[in-house]
Amino acid sequence: MASGVDQAVGMGLVGFSLLLFIYYTLWVIVLPFVDSDHVIHGYFLPREYSVILPGIAALLLVLFVGTFIALVMWKNRKPKKTQ
Amino acid sequence: MTKLMEWLSGLTVLGVLWATVTFDLLGLDPPEAVLQVSWPLPVFLLVALGCFSLGTVGYRVATFNDCQTAAAELQAQIREAKTDLQRKGLRF
Repeated sequence: MASGVDQAVGMGLVGFSLLLFIYYTLWVIVLPFVDSDHVIHGYFLPREYSVILPGIAALLLVLFVGTFIALVMWKNRKPKKTQ
Repeated sequence: MTKLMEWLSGLTVLGVLWATVTFDLLGLDPPEAVLQVSWPLPVFLLVALGCFSLGTVGYRVATFNDCQTAAAELQAQIREAKTDLQRKGLRF
């Protein structure tokens, strides 16, 4: 059995990814088929943002991963041995 | 055909289909709603894949079969083996 914290974090991730998927699916797939004067349109940004926001998120991810790798490589550099 | 070529040809076919619908290359004049769903579709699939991956990782973390007693037993065995080998001359 995974520890309590592990279970909480794990199920939290599952819940978060589920919410994100449902919101994004509604935004991209469902909304174009809903009348433009329906009240639900007020809960979603204009469609351009459905491409721009994941693009920015991907950029930030690459930035973080690259920075992490650079930091780890910098910490593990060995000075040249002197004879 | 290598796996890479298989994946690339599959992606190319899907890409051509998507571009044909989104940019109306065959003059088919799809309805406005179809166009509005079509153009973010590649990003949508990527986000869906990301959500699925994140959810799978979270689920596997939550249902991990942690064996506390077996872990403690293994640690004791490791320490025992270390002292035994050190006595026999092996340096760590």
